[in-house]
Amino acid sequence: MDYSSIIKDNLISLNYFLPELLLTGLIIVLVIADLFLKDERSPWLSFVALAGCVVVLLSVIAQFDLGSRSLFQHMLVVDPFSVFFKLLFLASAIAVIFLSIASVELAGRPVGEYFTLLIALTLGLFLMASSTNLVTILLSIEFVSIVSFVLATYLKTRRRSSEAGLKYAIYGAFSSGLMLYGLSLLYGLTGTLNLYEIGDVLASRDSNGMALTLSTILILAGFGYKIASVPFHFWSPDVYEGAPTPITAFLSIGPKAAGFAVLIRFFNVALAGEPANGASQWSALPELDWPMILAVVSAITMTLGNLVAIVQTNIKRLLAYSSIAHAGYALMGVVVLSQDGIYATMFYLAVYYLMNLGAFLVVIVFQDLLGSEKIADFKGLAWRAPVPAIAMAVFLVSLTGLPPTAGFIGKFYLFAAVIKAGPAFYWLAVVGLLNSVVALYYYARILKTMFFDKAAEENSISVSPYYVTLLALLAAPTIILGVYWAPLQKLATNSVEFLRAL
Amino acid sequence: MLFNFANVLTFIVFGAVFVGINITLSRILQARNPHPVKLSTYECGELPEGDSWIQFNIRFYVIALIFLIFEVEIVFLFPWATVFKELGLFAFVEMMIFVFILLVGLAYVWVKGDLEWDKSTAVPDPALAPSAARQELTEAIAS
Amino acid sequence: MDNVLSWITFLPVVGILAILFVPKDNKNTVRIIAAVFTGLQLVLAVWIYRNFDSSTSAIQFSEQYKWIPSFNIDYFMGIDGLSVPMVLLTAFLSFICIFASWGIEKSVKGYFAMFLLLDAGMMGVFCSLDFFLFYIFWEVMLLPMYFLIGIWGSPSRTEEDGMVRGGPYAAIKFFLYTLFGSIFMLIAMLVFYFNVSDPVTGGHTFNMLHLMDQANHGGVLKDFDVRLLIYAALFLGFAIKVPVFPFHTWLPDAHVEAPTAVSVILAGVLLKMGTYGMLRISFPMLPDAMKWKYFAYGLAILGMINILYGALCAMAQKDLKKLVAYSSISHMGIVLLGMSGLTSLGMNGAVMQMFNHGTGTAMLFLLVGVIYDRAHHRQIDGFGGLAVRMPIFAAMMSLAFFAGLGLPGLSSFISEAFSFLGAFGSETFDLRLITVVSTIGIIITAGYFLWTFQRMFLGELNPKYAELPEINGRELFTLVPIGILVIVLGVYPAPLLDLIKTSLNELVEVVKAAEAPTMLGLH
Repeated sequence: MDYSSIIKDNLISLNYFLPELLLTGLIIVLVIADLFLKDERSPWLSFVALAGCVVVLLSVIAQFDLGSRSLFQHMLVVDPFSVFFKLLFLASAIAVIFLSIASVELAGRPVGEYFTLLIALTLGLFLMASSTNLVTILLSIEFVSIVSFVLATYLKTRRRSSEAGLKYAIYGAFSSGLMLYGLSLLYGLTGTLNLYEIGDVLASRDSNGMALTLSTILILAGFGYKIASVPFHFWSPDVYEGAPTPITAFLSIGPKAAGFAVLIRFFNVALAGEPANGASQWSALPELDWPMILAVVSAITMTLGNLVAIVQTNIKRLLAYSSIAHAGYALMGVVVLSQDGIYATMFYLAVYYLMNLGAFLVVIVFQDLLGSEKIADFKGLAWRAPVPAIAMAVFLVSLTGLPPTAGFIGKFYLFAAVIKAGPAFYWLAVVGLLNSVVALYYYARILKTMFFDKAAEENSISVSPYYVTLLALLAAPTIILGVYWAPLQKLATNSVEFLRAL
Repeated sequence: MLFNFANVLTFIVFGAVFVGINITLSRILQARNPHPVKLSTYECGELPEGDSWIQFNIRFYVIALIFLIFEVEIVFLFPWATVFKELGLFAFVEMMIFVFILLVGLAYVWVKGDLEWDKSTAVPDPALAPSAARQELTEAIAS
Repeated sequence: MDNVLSWITFLPVVGILAILFVPKDNKNTVRIIAAVFTGLQLVLAVWIYRNFDSSTSAIQFSEQYKWIPSFNIDYFMGIDGLSVPMVLLTAFLSFICIFASWGIEKSVKGYFAMFLLLDAGMMGVFCSLDFFLFYIFWEVMLLPMYFLIGIWGSPSRTEEDGMVRGGPYAAIKFFLYTLFGSIFMLIAMLVFYFNVSDPVTGGHTFNMLHLMDQANHGGVLKDFDVRLLIYAALFLGFAIKVPVFPFHTWLPDAHVEAPTAVSVILAGVLLKMGTYGMLRISFPMLPDAMKWKYFAYGLAILGMINILYGALCAMAQKDLKKLVAYSSISHMGIVLLGMSGLTSLGMNGAVMQMFNHGTGTAMLFLLVGVIYDRAHHRQIDGFGGLAVRMPIFAAMMSLAFFAGLGLPGLSSFISEAFSFLGAFGSETFDLRLITVVSTIGIIITAGYFLWTFQRMFLGELNPKYAELPEINGRELFTLVPIGILVIVLGVYPAPLLDLIKTSLNELVEVVKAAEAPTMLGLH
């Protein structure tokens, strides 16, 4: 064994691993700082976490110039694709820290563990987005899952929160068991854990039999659990409802986006052939029509999510089902196996970050003001607290996908990618668009409750400037990106490159 | 395609039959001399007291977790030690970082009082009045 | 004056910004700001009318800027003879409607901001020549309309049969119907985009002028079955807006529950967007699909159904506003019939009917608003003998009714006659039977308008309304200009006809020249 070359490679890799190292350092700093703080409910740790995130953000931005590079004996990778997702995770983490600082729900709970776990979760997401080895994929997904369980149940004295954590853990254990089985089958088939080698081995054979299909479906269980797609979505309404709202917001964005990152990488590296002579569309393994499997999953996911959302009375549950539906939309981009599709999915996830986070912020504001998550209690709120209500209107319109909001542009790119792929997937576009109409129904119902119904009380409620600023910071880009989205489009275009072969 | 399922089916059938035969065989062949001591639960030679289906104290889990963490440390340390000479300084630094992180963990459990078995006197009620500093912040935000 | 179309479209947006800075209690300032900005818009519209060269069918006042280069999306505005009357109508009715909404007291800022946003959206639809831009404007209108109907429309109420009706219900219904239609338009738009190449750059394009040129069509658009599907998808989007039977059920709800000014805009401008879209997009981009036997006759037959069904429904209404709403369905049927024959006469008649119905129905809705503000109900049978008490109002109402039933000398007579004659004389399709049956609609229309007039204004004065005040100055100010337009265009339609005919004749030629397809073995 030539240790020295391995060590050398690892040492070089460390240079490209800076953001993750910084995050690890931040975790340790937070733990130690927590130990020295007399008062474990002090807000100062949140500022430490925030400052740390900004430093990490800078180091991630610097990674854009690095190009694509495989690290640590092909365990991980740095490429623009993963950097894009890292930015997204960091942005979510920073936003969630802001939400947590003011959250009434979390007031009076120890914050040291909270922020430590939050940063740890971010680290896990970073690893998910850059894994290129079956083991790192599994470990990073488990890492994220376990931290999520704890965070979901952070309000441990509240019954719903405990229930959320338990359900999350049980579904998580189940689906990662399935995924592990799938991964082991894949390893057995190919004799390697490296995604690139797996791709080569599979492509070089004529047939891999049923086992490949079986293992793909089993692995899909793990990814599907992370992005909350049908039929692995059952945990999400309960978890979203029970978890502290800032965590719900994070769970609906971070792990979902990370799930997409790892799903896109896995399918396109291990299970797709090289693009035929430079075409922008590449081909799936002929024996395994996974685009069709994903297309069906996508269609069912959005339809089910939207239909069930209609009957919800709790806003957090409604948003949970809507986020299931949005996972279905985003999957449309993966189905078409093209740069455009992946690009559309990335663009959509970035936009989804803005609008979904915004919607959850409004939920937090209303929770603070009314102490309720029931949609029926929002009656006439637009007249009592106009700012959050108008912001909510912006976010909901964007979630529906109507111009002139970012949500429309996101959906537009997705549908454009699907239509471009040719008539074979027109049906998916039609299903997706019909779903927009269904979605409009329940989003418009919230608007109706807030704007058209008579309030039980007339007095106006004042919203703190802190919240107003946050709302403006999220609502403004939601609209601006709907009119002029070239910057985000450029970022996504530059990031769509991922390391497809060693 | 469908034929491939035959493999799976064969596998399942064979598995079920194999297990079934073994259990049936042992039923048939075993000698039955029941004795109260033989039927009792095995607890390292001690005579069991009461039912084993009881609720364990939650503290056992904390201890078990802490134990697990340091157990893993050992698992890493032994192989590291055997090849230490060949790896040189790099491995030393690496392991020091690893041990340091674990030490932080140890400090954490220590400070948080999780090493105390009897916690009745240790930590104040973990809630729920917001701290003074936090309240200040909340007020600052609200105003 | 460069960029006049941008100005006319985005002036209302500037108005919104101005309104946002007005303190909440200065209600009159808000109203005046809205009036000023729509007034400026009207001035620009008149300027456009004066400077528009009607001797050519080319695009005029065009502006083109790159917007999102990577997707070849341009900011491309321009108008031709088809859009100019719609631009005029929009500016004119928006200005009038500001005064019709003077009495709104609930959240005045919000109301006028939403109204101006709606105005900008409408204007943008008629001015844009980039399909993507068109779609954005098209969708932008939905949200303000939703709020205008839901918040300022009639409050929610439970009907005798236990159904919840009222503004909120109508608003959500309107929203869902129109979105349902426009998603199919989105698909059609994307199929166009990916299968049409820009003759200059060779890339994909949303430019409507390129999309209209059949030489640029490639890919799946070469396949006639796909073209039929795309035509059907576009038709669905536009038909819901018109609304064409059987997609019309949102209209009576929305029109009746909306506040007066919004009903005027809905009936006066929004309905025209459906037929405008067909003439601007479906016909020139897919002329062969339009000429497919089943679609061509289908269009005419749907027009006939609209005319007869709308008229019969109107006759059965007890609520005056519902009657006017159904009469709109009937009158839009005439537009459909007029354009389905592919004759110069019919096409010009159809577009004139779009304009004249806009003015006529606006007057009707305004008058309904006047009586509703006074009597607080709209039951036709609840009135009687009002002509004695309110002679001016009765005179206005009779003018509007006669305009609606197409009395010679009033504007819609000419457009209706053109439409029917054009359809009857079609050389491309044999629409004679359909046209003859449709004309029965005129008789029914005359029937319900006259009958309603009799029930409301003639006979004994209902003692309950002995003290009803006469129509006031502000209301007259909104009605008289429309009345003058109705009479003038009835006597001398040349200004309108001259404006549109060059462009429309060209459109007719283009569609006529398209090869009549024989696919699917169905011709």
